[in-house]
Amino acid sequence: MQSESRSTGLPMSPTGAVLLGTVITIGAIFSLRPGSVLALMLEVGLFAALTLKRRAAAAAGYAMMVVLPLFAFMAAVWVIVVGRPPTIGAEIAHMPRTAALVYVAVICARLFIVIFIVRVTLLQFSEMTPLQFVGRLALPLLIKKLLVLTLSLIETLAHAVDRSRTALITSGLMTSRFSLRNFLHVWILIQTAWLTVISIAIARIRDKWPIENTMARLDDVLGRFAVRFTSIDAAAALIAVVGVAVAWSLG
Amino acid sequence: MLEPVLITGPNFSGRSHALRTLLVENGRHGFFVGPYAEAALSGLSSAVADEIEIYRSLKPLAQRPLFIGVATADAVVRRPATLSGGEQALLALHCFALSDYDAIGVDTALEQLDRLNRERALNFLNACGDANLRAVVIDNRVSQRDGWTICRSVPHDVGFELDFPGLIAMLRPQSAPVLDVLGLCFRYRSGHEIFRHVDLCLAPGRAYRLTGPNGSGKTTFFKILAGVLTPTGGRLLRNGAPYRPSREGNRVFALSMQNPDHQWCGATLAEDMARRKAQLNPVASARFPSLPVLASLAHKLGWTSLDQPLYEFPLAARKRLSWLWPLAGVMPWVFLDEPSVGQDQATRHELARAITHMAKIGHGVMVVTHDDEFAAEIPHVELRIQDRTIIQQVVPVG
Repeated sequence: MQSESRSTGLPMSPTGAVLLGTVITIGAIFSLRPGSVLALMLEVGLFAALTLKRRAAAAAGYAMMVVLPLFAFMAAVWVIVVGRPPTIGAEIAHMPRTAALVYVAVICARLFIVIFIVRVTLLQFSEMTPLQFVGRLALPLLIKKLLVLTLSLIETLAHAVDRSRTALITSGLMTSRFSLRNFLHVWILIQTAWLTVISIAIARIRDKWPIENTMARLDDVLGRFAVRFTSIDAAAALIAVVGVAVAWSLG
Repeated sequence: MLEPVLITGPNFSGRSHALRTLLVENGRHGFFVGPYAEAALSGLSSAVADEIEIYRSLKPLAQRPLFIGVATADAVVRRPATLSGGEQALLALHCFALSDYDAIGVDTALEQLDRLNRERALNFLNACGDANLRAVVIDNRVSQRDGWTICRSVPHDVGFELDFPGLIAMLRPQSAPVLDVLGLCFRYRSGHEIFRHVDLCLAPGRAYRLTGPNGSGKTTFFKILAGVLTPTGGRLLRNGAPYRPSREGNRVFALSMQNPDHQWCGATLAEDMARRKAQLNPVASARFPSLPVLASLAHKLGWTSLDQPLYEFPLAARKRLSWLWPLAGVMPWVFLDEPSVGQDQATRHELARAITHMAKIGHGVMVVTHDDEFAAEIPHVELRIQDRTIIQQVVPVG
């Protein structure tokens, strides 16, 4: 087996990590009660500590940064403005605002778990390039090629937006800082970025790819990294399934 | 041994088509390096290391010449799209050297390289011939080279005729401001430091040539002056008053980008110009040419109508059109990033005359070019990027 995540305490392959992340994500989506969400958070925290060690805190901090604004907004709406959750049980009917706070906390905690586990999975393999990561997934070649093309499209879109933004700033239509001008011309940015994506794609499809048969190279390069699904991956996935089941039973 | 082939001839004479044909004739497996990223790199990678991996062959390559285009560990983790034009061409050559392709075609991409890298690249292509690898090159700066086969492309009438004398006659005097750069510092978020305490005084009425190795920060410097990037230290003055382009917007520079497709803000020239005009302050707006004048300027650059969709025309024609905004004389300073790339010798000579004239009539002019022959035709002050600072040096006309 080729080199796996070097920083991790668990020698998992990307396939194992993605599978584990998927199980946890499904677990978070279907955890509706505070007890099961809390148990799932503890499990993910434990997994992050085992795999990332000190970097687990950074992953948690990242997820927190994403979730906190949503928590503040939802708390303002449900706890302060509405004053009660959408549905309320008879046992806490006398504390509607507390119930609203719990409702908001559960939603945000589930989102936190999803972001946290995605971040943990990515950080585990941060020393790999995107191509190496996709290549090591135990998936059919066609799916892996589609993943590479999707990443390529994302990269092209990001580049096109950056390029168009530069064009619009230099032509005076936008500024690099926040301004009303930017707001008024955001539709031109979208139009320009879209034209740029098309022109980049045409140049590749017309000039580069047909001469080199570039796409065919992916077969070879993705095959180079192929890694089998290991017993450790299977064990980790199984533990995750059991963990989710336990968490649900606690709810 | 296979002699490298150099395809010569003017623009629009079918050179690129000839290159593609030679590249794949006799069932050869060809590798293509076009001008600019979209035709030089695979577009399938999100990191330089991945780009190399895509092309790296697992077969033994003992007879193959070596070319190091990416030398540092920092470089391999960068996104290919963030490399400069020259660095992208070097990366493409690096990939070819490690691949199992038996032919390489380079379409004007070497024109973006600094002197040292360019010589290295041309020597590499020589060595490819020695290793029985076919090399086919289009390069407007080389008309012949020892041991290379010359293949002349026959000019034919396809339009895009230039009228530089007429264009120069239409240029209007300008009174550009003095720009002072005081203690300028800049580093990217990645921590990569580009400039440290740069002090410069840029006066109008003369041309400046910004030089430096590939990836040294030439385009970054311009992006700071035009407000795309915010300096991490120092300040800019415009006629002695503070100038903050990243807040106020670009009010000084008309630019022509290295890749012309990096500068359009519309799908047609008419749309592009209308959008630019709508943003101008009253002073600049008053200088904006009328539509007939604009159409006449475009015609002199080879375009018959302002309503022609930009992306439907050859790259060399779009490159010529990218000079229109600077030549329109609306903005007091003009910045031309590698204006001669992809242009034949006659066009480069005429463009040098136009740039010289612009400086004479009071514009501030800044040019980035690795084309020494082209630069020698323009009396200029050299601004050399060296050790994260910029050194001024007056260069006599060659």
